[in-house]
Amino acid sequence: MKNLAPWLIAVSLVTYVIGQLYLKRAMDISARAGLRSRSFVSRISLGIIAMTVSFFLSLGLLAHLDLSYLYPFQGFSVIIIAVVAALALREKLTPRLLFGSILITTGIVLVSLS
Amino acid sequence: MSPPKRAAPASPRAAETRPKGWANPWFQLALSAAFVTASELCLKRGATAAAANNLDSAWAWTGIPGLASPWVWAGIIALVISFLGWLYVLRQVPLSHAYPLSNVVHITIPLTSWILLGERIGPARWAGIALVLVGLIVVAKPFASLEERL
Repeated sequence: MKNLAPWLIAVSLVTYVIGQLYLKRAMDISARAGLRSRSFVSRISLGIIAMTVSFFLSLGLLAHLDLSYLYPFQGFSVIIIAVVAALALREKLTPRLLFGSILITTGIVLVSLS
Repeated sequence: MSPPKRAAPASPRAAETRPKGWANPWFQLALSAAFVTASELCLKRGATAAAANNLDSAWAWTGIPGLASPWVWAGIIALVISFLGWLYVLRQVPLSHAYPLSNVVHITIPLTSWILLGERIGPARWAGIALVLVGLIVVAKPFASLEERL
């Protein structure tokens, strides 16, 4: 089972990113179509399901691995979400935003390793 | 599960149409981060108290005994409020801008743990906190300048 840990970390990170993307998409739809539209309900549900899967995978991983080992991967979500939001949601990714995200990720990794 | 697609308001100029006061998304983002920080402090306090009462029990490892503590419930409520605030922020601000800024919790949680819980912060951790702060300033500066002009 320990051999699966890197894969589970990857799945946890991917489901977290997907969850944030769907939550963002759902809230954009809610601004146009309201909270009762089917597309809002389906996307907010997918977002919450993805975030829940990520949460429980993280809890399971925490039970078996050190927090200092797992925490840096959470830091990488800052860069991944900035890049994926630019690709999937067509948001503007400026060099300044990318540089700031890299600094934040490095800081989180440093905090968790110390 | 294919990622959703849309044309997002990508520029800080979108801030021109944003609500002011309590409804301002930057204020809500700060409030959401404050609730996450409060939640973590409450959960830590509740979990520690629960573990002290059930130290030898296997249940103590599951986190479930923590539900007996009012601190844990306060933490859960704070987390739900922060999540609702986050959804409001997502409605107003591009994800690629809001998410890096939400990482201000990596500064507020260690600082409040140091001040309120008496936890120790080593030099490397201070350096990491400073780096996160610089990163946040780099990301936030264009928006701060724009809000000042409005």
